Amino acid sequence: MKKYGGVSAELAAVDGRKRLNMDKVMTAVCFVLLLIIVVIPIVMIIYNAFFYEGKLEIGMFVEQLTEPNNLGAMWNTLKIAVFTTILGTIMGVFYAWLLGRSDIPAKGLMRALFNIPYMFPPFLGAMAWDMMFNGRSGYINKWLVQLFGLQSMPININSVWGIVFVEVSYYFPFVFMQVVSALERMDPTLEESARIAGARQRQVVWKITLPLVKPAISAGALLILTTSLAHFGVPAILGYAKRIYTLPTRIYEVIYNSGGSFDGIRQGAAISVMLVVVVALALILQNRILSAGNYDIIKGKSMRPTLIKLRGAKIPLFLLAILTLVLIVIVPLVMIVLISFLKAYGLPLEFKNFTFAQYQKVFSANGTIASIRNSLFVSITAGIICMFLGTLVAYVVQKIRPKGKGVLEVISMLPYAIPGTVLSIGVILAWSGRIAGINLYNTIWIILVAYLARYLSFSMKTSSAALLQVHSSLEEAARVCGASHTESLADITLPLIRPAMVSGFFLIFLPAMREVTTSILLYGPYTRTLGVQIYSLRDAGMIPQAAALATVAIGIIIILNTLVTKLTKDRKGV
Amino acid sequence: MANVKFDDITFRYGSHTVLEHFSLEVESGKIVCLVGPSGCGKTTLVRALLGLIKPETGSITVGDRVLFDAKKRVNVPAEKRNIGIVFQDYAVWPHMTVLENVSYPLKKQRRPKEEIRQRAMRALEQVHMTEYANLLPNQLSGGQQQRVAIARALVVDSDVLVMDEPITNLDAKLREEMLLEIRMIQKRLNATILYITHDQQSALQLCDKMAIMEQDGVLCQYGTDEEIILHPANRFTFEFIGISNFIPVEKDGKGMALNCGEKIPYEGSVPEEARSGGYELGVRPNDIVFDDASPLKAKVDSRVFLGSEYNYFLSVGKKQIRVQQSMLDARTKGVANEGETVGIRFLNTRFYPAKKGAETA
Repeated sequence: MKKYGGVSAELAAVDGRKRLNMDKVMTAVCFVLLLIIVVIPIVMIIYNAFFYEGKLEIGMFVEQLTEPNNLGAMWNTLKIAVFTTILGTIMGVFYAWLLGRSDIPAKGLMRALFNIPYMFPPFLGAMAWDMMFNGRSGYINKWLVQLFGLQSMPININSVWGIVFVEVSYYFPFVFMQVVSALERMDPTLEESARIAGARQRQVVWKITLPLVKPAISAGALLILTTSLAHFGVPAILGYAKRIYTLPTRIYEVIYNSGGSFDGIRQGAAISVMLVVVVALALILQNRILSAGNYDIIKGKSMRPTLIKLRGAKIPLFLLAILTLVLIVIVPLVMIVLISFLKAYGLPLEFKNFTFAQYQKVFSANGTIASIRNSLFVSITAGIICMFLGTLVAYVVQKIRPKGKGVLEVISMLPYAIPGTVLSIGVILAWSGRIAGINLYNTIWIILVAYLARYLSFSMKTSSAALLQVHSSLEEAARVCGASHTESLADITLPLIRPAMVSGFFLIFLPAMREVTTSILLYGPYTRTLGVQIYSLRDAGMIPQAAALATVAIGIIIILNTLVTKLTKDRKGV
Repeated sequence: MANVKFDDITFRYGSHTVLEHFSLEVESGKIVCLVGPSGCGKTTLVRALLGLIKPETGSITVGDRVLFDAKKRVNVPAEKRNIGIVFQDYAVWPHMTVLENVSYPLKKQRRPKEEIRQRAMRALEQVHMTEYANLLPNQLSGGQQQRVAIARALVVDSDVLVMDEPITNLDAKLREEMLLEIRMIQKRLNATILYITHDQQSALQLCDKMAIMEQDGVLCQYGTDEEIILHPANRFTFEFIGISNFIPVEKDGKGMALNCGEKIPYEGSVPEEARSGGYELGVRPNDIVFDDASPLKAKVDSRVFLGSEYNYFLSVGKKQIRVQQSMLDARTKGVANEGETVGIRFLNTRFYPAKKGAETA
């Protein structure tokens, strides 16, 4: 091996320094992009809430803080979030246990069905429930009045409790999915030894099973809590007309009423700060309550747990589960489809009132087609960019581990805890000409930027988890085998985490397709998204047309979801 | 083939010093086992050799080629060091077939396709894996993956082959087989192999020379296995390689005594420096023989038959010691029975200062 002597060793040394630089470049790129996408909008909110024309000015903030409407909205937000979390968690844990641990029939089918509410856009659910139980004009309400000769509408969905009900129906899967997978990964011998030690079935559930899945429960509950606090769609559809505000709908109203003026946006920023404080407090509280006890007894391996015999309760519980599904999935779906065929909203649901005209309108209206195109464009673009950027951040945090990697991690996760409406305000403040003259307002790009911030943490999390599985020796082996740093990334690491990257893409693409919270504040005349279009059609009173578009949207979501499941199943497991 | 020279290597993780001024030279064409307890810095040393970490001081040379030199600011990147490695966890790439795995180093050298195929197949032949060429690693057993990793390290003519605990995950029988195979490969290629392990048994079986490392990255001894077993340089080497008994010795009137909870006179020779107290007598279980004529008496607590030898626990005073009796000895002199009192003699004694703080009683 003489050829390596003297001079070439020096050359190689130069090469050695280049390699270090590549790590540095990647780290720097991460910091810069996160600064632009995440930090600037957040800083802009805080700055504008407390400063005006370069001077500290807290008068406006105090004014907003003491405004009765805002205080009421804050109270509503808390009430709805807390009850949704409690009820959703109970429901999620109950059905997770039923499907994961009992001998209830048709399990595979039930598991698939219980994932549907997760895909179902909550604001479309709210629309359906409003059609049925609106305090003034709900179809089922009217029917009940007729049937029993009642004096007033029996059920009013346009209330805090109505909002809680709808949110619980579509958010309980957060807990359900976490707990089901934890139950599946739990070592069954833990439960069996409790039985052998003399514990009764009921005691095993309370003293062993539940405490062991507590981390999964708390993770899911946290997700419900933060999602509900930040949620716009359901309270907007059910509460807005009745002047039942939550903080996100309040922010929308303030900005909407001011016609998008700077003052309105500043007020929105002030309310945003309130909302962020509430979310932060919720996160801290949650952490306090649930930090005690974190177990590592749940194994990665899948094992067959002993199933609990329900005996006599088997059929009633099975029926209850079916009924739940029918109530939260089938009924709203049928309602939306039925309404979409109506000639005009309010007409009785009879065959002679049915028409295809609404669909014709939907597919001939320029705005509607454009909204589908817009949503596809931003969702796919955001999905792709986030997929690569999230993987880059994950790689820097997991493998390069620069100083300040903690900061990087926190910044990228930050938008996860920041409500979509708040993020929108930050993006408006940052990118409507105030920084370096960049004005994206009323363009599709501002929605894209907001989506990037909002969804980056999704892809970062999946890529992070995948990278943790890729032991560093795999990349090192490639280096020793003669691959440069770049080559080892391209040949080894990327192919190994490709499945995770792809699923990260769909984790972003699917929710972005039906998103309304963020884009409702950002859309311009030509940049409505699918969610915004449905919302505005409904807002303008064109409810059957909104229902028709909603049916189309649900169709798109179902097709895409099936496609994703097919695609990810065929992948070679690594 | 080439020798490997570590000179004055220092490496720290933050404030934790793993290696300090570490030097070692591995001769060309030998299998050298680097043995030490976990956390002694052996893996760090290997990573420095591979170019995966950068030491603070010192230099690393393979043959006449400088791979790293802190003073001259030379640091050849990992991919240009031409060292074969078999990692502890194999690091066989799960998304490539066996053949693709083994071909990879050649592909990176941009060899012609036909040559890559031939050489990769030859490497697989050497580890008896040709019929698995088109399988994915998850279709192979741990031992087979191991062999893929070895083939991948063999496929290019590396200057040095490094194996980091390559057989710890295998079962006993396969371990034996792999050790023999590594031996044969080394003979065939006349390769320099640096073999890292914490398991002294496999080290003894495999190596030409052994380097013993102590907990804090200090090289205790470097020599042939015979030298290390028969002339351990210090207490650590003596204790780490093989099984050992330690009994404190003290002055007792004019003579010496063993402190076994009670003083038991000891008539064997004790070197001058150990007579002043604070020393311990060290003796291996197979260096203790039964001799009824000996004044030193012990009670037999238990006896276990291990196939090729007998293993005893004896009480000397209140202290328990371990004794091994070879089959030959057992056949000619007979075995001792539990509960019996026997005379014993220490053959190969050494004396080391007692460990501070550690009560050996």
